[in-house]
Amino acid sequence: MNALKNPRLLGMLAVVIVLAAAPIFFAEQNYAMRVVTVGMCAAIAVYGLNIILGFTGQLSLAQGGFFGIGAYGVGLLTTDFDWSFWSAFIVTIIGTAAVGYLCGLIALRTKDEYFAIFTMAIGFIIFLVISRWESVTHAHSGVNNVKFPEGGGIIDFESPVAMFYLVFVILLICIYVTHAIRRSSVGRTLLTIRTSEDLADAIGVRVGFSKQLAFAASAVLGGIGGGLYATVVGFIGPDSASIDKTFEFLMFILVGGMGTVAGPLLGSMIVTFLFELFQDFQAYRFIVLGPIIVALVIFAPRGIIGYLGGIVDRRSRKQKIAEARRTADGASPEYDTAKSGTVTSGIDPEETK
Amino acid sequence: MTLFIQQLFNGLALGGVYCLAAIGLTLVFGVLRIPNLAHGALYMLGAYLTYFFLTTIGVPYIAAIGIAAIMLFVVGVGLERLVFHPLRNSPHTHHMIAAVGAMFFFQALAQAIWGADFRRMDTPITGELRILGAEISAQRIVIIVVAVIVLALLAWFIKRSIHGQTIEAIEQDRVGASLVGINPSMVSMLTLGLSALLATIAAGLVAPINLLSPTMGDALNLKVFAIIILGGLGSLPGAIVGGFALAIAETMTATYISSGVGEAVAFIVLVAVLAIKPTGLFTKAVQR
Amino acid sequence: MNSVPRTRSRRLLSSAAIGTLVFTIAACGGGGSGDGGDTVVIGYTGPLSGGGAAYGENVKIGLEMAVDDLNDDGVEVDGKPVTLELKSLDDKYAPSTAASNAQRLADQDKAPVVVSPNAGAIKAIQQINSGRSNFLISAYTSDPAIVQSDNPLTMMIPPNFESYASEFTETGMKHGGKKLALLGTQSEYGQQWTKSITDAWKEAGGSVGGDNSVDYATVSDFAGPVSKALADKPDAIFVGGPSQPTALIMEEARKQGFEGSFLVMDQAKLDEMATVAKIDNLTNSVGVLPVSEYEDPGTKDFIDKFADKAGDKKVPTSETALNYQGIAIITKAMEVSGSTDDPEKIRASISDALPEVDDKYKVNGFPDEITDQGHLLNPNLEATYLDDDGEYTKVPIDQVSDAK
Repeated sequence: MNALKNPRLLGMLAVVIVLAAAPIFFAEQNYAMRVVTVGMCAAIAVYGLNIILGFTGQLSLAQGGFFGIGAYGVGLLTTDFDWSFWSAFIVTIIGTAAVGYLCGLIALRTKDEYFAIFTMAIGFIIFLVISRWESVTHAHSGVNNVKFPEGGGIIDFESPVAMFYLVFVILLICIYVTHAIRRSSVGRTLLTIRTSEDLADAIGVRVGFSKQLAFAASAVLGGIGGGLYATVVGFIGPDSASIDKTFEFLMFILVGGMGTVAGPLLGSMIVTFLFELFQDFQAYRFIVLGPIIVALVIFAPRGIIGYLGGIVDRRSRKQKIAEARRTADGASPEYDTAKSGTVTSGIDPEETK
Repeated sequence: MTLFIQQLFNGLALGGVYCLAAIGLTLVFGVLRIPNLAHGALYMLGAYLTYFFLTTIGVPYIAAIGIAAIMLFVVGVGLERLVFHPLRNSPHTHHMIAAVGAMFFFQALAQAIWGADFRRMDTPITGELRILGAEISAQRIVIIVVAVIVLALLAWFIKRSIHGQTIEAIEQDRVGASLVGINPSMVSMLTLGLSALLATIAAGLVAPINLLSPTMGDALNLKVFAIIILGGLGSLPGAIVGGFALAIAETMTATYISSGVGEAVAFIVLVAVLAIKPTGLFTKAVQR
Repeated sequence: MNSVPRTRSRRLLSSAAIGTLVFTIAACGGGGSGDGGDTVVIGYTGPLSGGGAAYGENVKIGLEMAVDDLNDDGVEVDGKPVTLELKSLDDKYAPSTAASNAQRLADQDKAPVVVSPNAGAIKAIQQINSGRSNFLISAYTSDPAIVQSDNPLTMMIPPNFESYASEFTETGMKHGGKKLALLGTQSEYGQQWTKSITDAWKEAGGSVGGDNSVDYATVSDFAGPVSKALADKPDAIFVGGPSQPTALIMEEARKQGFEGSFLVMDQAKLDEMATVAKIDNLTNSVGVLPVSEYEDPGTKDFIDKFADKAGDKKVPTSETALNYQGIAIITKAMEVSGSTDDPEKIRASISDALPEVDDKYKVNGFPDEITDQGHLLNPNLEATYLDDDGEYTKVPIDQVSDAK
C-alpha cells in the first residue's frame, strides 16, 4: 500500500476514523451530534467550493446560494408536494446541476475579481428570490417539518446516530469523488487552468468546458450539502441561502487548506467548534473571533493541512538530505534539494536552507 | 409628475451616498487589487464616530464629520498595515476572509461601545424645499451638493496633486511606478485611508435621514460592490456613473414596479451588463 | 500556488496561532457544567449580535430582571431552595443556530426551559424539544403558527397578532378614512400583518392601495417608499417594523404632508418610537399599549427597576415586560409541580400556577389562563389610540382564536 506512506492521506484517514468513531462517545449528546452532523453538511458544500476554488482557482461566491437551492428543493418537495425524501433529494441534485450549469454559462465569461463578485451577485439574487417569492418559498416563514429520509423499515433516520452516518457516508463519497477528480485527467486539466489559463488554452485544453464542468460540479455538491442540511435540521429559513453561508464556507476551506483533500473537512469541523466554543462570549464573541480569523489567514495562509503538510515535508526532506549526506559524502546537495523540491511543490526555497 | 420629481431627487441623494462609498472601494481595488469587504464596516464606524462627536461631545455637524473622517483615515491606514499589508502577496481569497474577520470585529466593537439599539442623529439642517411641486428635505439637497463638491475635490486631488498622482500611477503600472521612486506601501496606506475617509463623509451625510446601527453597513456593502463591478473595477468615472445610475434605477423601479424589484434591481442590472460585457462598463486595461 | 515567504519568527507565530486553536478545541470537549446541585438554568437563545441585536437585548433584560428578582425572593421547589441562573446564547436570528443553541442548553446545562423570541427559531426548536430531548419553549412571538403545530411543550406569551386587525381597522377608519396604504416591513412577521390588516380593511368596506412594503433593515432612505405610498392619497397608512425605523417612516410621511391616521404594527411601540422622533409626528395612530400605560399591580415598580438597570434613556417595552412575566410564571409552575427537571410536569402546572404568581410580577396584562395548545391569554387585552394631543386612549381588543 503506497498510500500508507503518504502522510497526507494518513492524516485524512485519521480524521475520517476519528469522525466515524464520534457517535460512540457522543451518541447520548444530541447537541454534539447535531453540531457535527450540521458541520458535515457544510463540509460537503465546502468540497464543492474546493473543486472550483481549490483546483481551478476561481473564487465562486455563489456556493451559499446553491446550498440554499439544495435545502429549499428538498424542503419544499417533501412538504408542500409530499414527495419522499429520496426522490426529492435526487431531483434536487439534478436541479442544482442544471442551475449551476446555466449560471456557469454566464458567470464564466467573467474572470478573476469580476467572477468573484459576479457570483456573489448570483448568490444574492438566489437569496432574494428565496426570501421574497412568498407564494412558493413561504419567504421568511420558512419550510417546516422537512421529512426524514425513509429507511425502508431497516434504518430509522429519526435517530441522530443514523442521520450522522447517512451524512457521513455521503460525505465520504463526496470526498472520494473530489479526490478522484483531482487524480483524473479532468483534475489535471483543472490544475493546469489554475496555474495559467492562457497556457492551458495554448496546449489545447478545453478551458471553457472544463471550467463549466467544475462550476456545475461545485454547485451539485453545494446542493447535496443543502439537501441533507434541510432534513437534518427539519426547519429551514432564508438564512440557509444567505451570503453569510458563503463566507462561512470560505472560512472553512481557508482554515482547513485550499486544494487539499482533508482540508475542507478539518476546516469545517474546527471552525464550527470554534464558533460554538466562543458562544459563551455572546454578543462579544466576534471581538475575539474576528482577529483570530485574520491571524489564521495571515499566519497560516495555506490552512492547517497546508501547515501540517509543510512540517511533514520539511522533516522528510531533512531525512533525505541527511541520508544522502551519509551515503555519498561527495554527492551534490543541490541535486537533493532539487529533487525534494519537485516532490513538494509550494514550499519556498528559503525553507530548504 | 410631482412623484417623479420627488423620486428623482431621492434617487440623486441616494446616488451621492453610493458614489462616495463606491469611489473609495474602487480606488482600493485599483491600487491594492483587493475587494475590501470591510468597507461597509468602515462606513458604519464613520457614522458612529460622527454621531459621537456631534451628539456626545457637541461639536458642529460639519466639524463632527471632519474629525470622524480624519479618525477613520487613521483606522483605514491601520487596517492596511495590520491586515492587508501582510497579505499583499496572497491570492484575493485571503483578503476577502481577512476583511470579513475585520468586519465582524468592527461590528462587535461598535455594539460593545454604543449598544445594539438604533441611534438617531439629529441634523442641524432642517426644513424643506419646494421644487416643481415636490417637497425635498434640505438634508437631501446638502447630500447632493456635498457629494458633488467632494467628487470634484477628489478628481483634482488625483489628477493634480503629487500624492494623488502617485495613486493613479500605481493603479496604472505598479512596477513602473516603483521604478520611478514611488513607494507602493505608502500609496496603499494613503488609498485605504482615503477610502475610509470618503465612506465616513457618506455615512455622516446619510445618518440624519436614517438610523445608526452596528449592521448599517451590510446593506450598503453589497450594493457598492455591484456598483464598482458595473462601472469596471478601479474606474473612477465608472463608480460615479454606476452609483447614480443604480440609485436612480432603484428608486424608480421601487416607485413604478415594486419595492422587491427595487431591491434586486442593482443585481439584475449587474448580471445583465456582465453577461454582455464581462469586464464592466468602463474597463481599464487590467494589469496583473 | 500561494507560497508566501516566511521567516522563522513568522513560523513561530503561526505555530502559536494553531496551537491556541488546538488548545481551544481541546477545551471545547471539556465543556458542560451547570449541575451545581440546586441551580436551575433558564436557557435563552436570541439575536444578540447582528441586525436583531437590539431586540434580543431587550428580551434578555427582562429575563435577567426576572431571574434576579425571583432569586431575591427565594425559590423553593419540593421543599428545597433553588437558585435560578440565566444562560444566554447568540443565534444571530438564524433558526438552525437557535435550535443548536437550544439543544446545547438542554443537554449541557440541563435547562428545563429555553426562551426564544422569534417565530422561525421557535419552529426550528419545536423539531427537537419533545422526543429525544425534552424542554419547554417559552415562546415570545405573536405568530399563532407556533401553537397550531400542537407542540406539547410550548408556551406562547404574547397575544395572537390577528386579534388586532379588526379593532385597528375600525379605529384607523374612524380617524382617517376609507383608503389604506401599506408600508409595513418586509419581514415574515410584517408580511403576515400586512395580509391580516388587508383582509380586515377590505371586510370593513375600505379600499387598499398597492403593497409598498419595504425592508426596514436595508433601505437607506425612506423618502422614496413614502412618496410612492402617498401618491395614492391614502387616508390611513399601515406601518410597522422595529420601533425606530417605523418612527422615521411616520415622520417622513408627516413631513411630506400626510394628515391621516397610522395603523402601527405591534412590533413597533409608540413610546419607544417617541425616543427618536417628535411625538407630534406620531399622533393620530393606533397601536399596542405602551408598558407604562398598563395598570397591573407590578407595573410601576417594574418601570423603576428597569430604569435602574437599563438607564433612563431606554423605554421598557413589552419584549422586556412580557418575558419578565413569563419567567415568573414558569418558576411558579416549577414550584407548583415540585419539579425543576420535568418539562411536562412544569407545562401541566402552568394553569394552576397562574393565580399563584406574586403581584409584583404582574406588569403587562397578566394572563389568567393557558389554552390547551399552550397560549397564555390575558382576558382584558387592550390597544391604544394616540390622539392629536399626545394622549393615549385605551381600545379594548376582542381576541380571535388561534385555530387556522
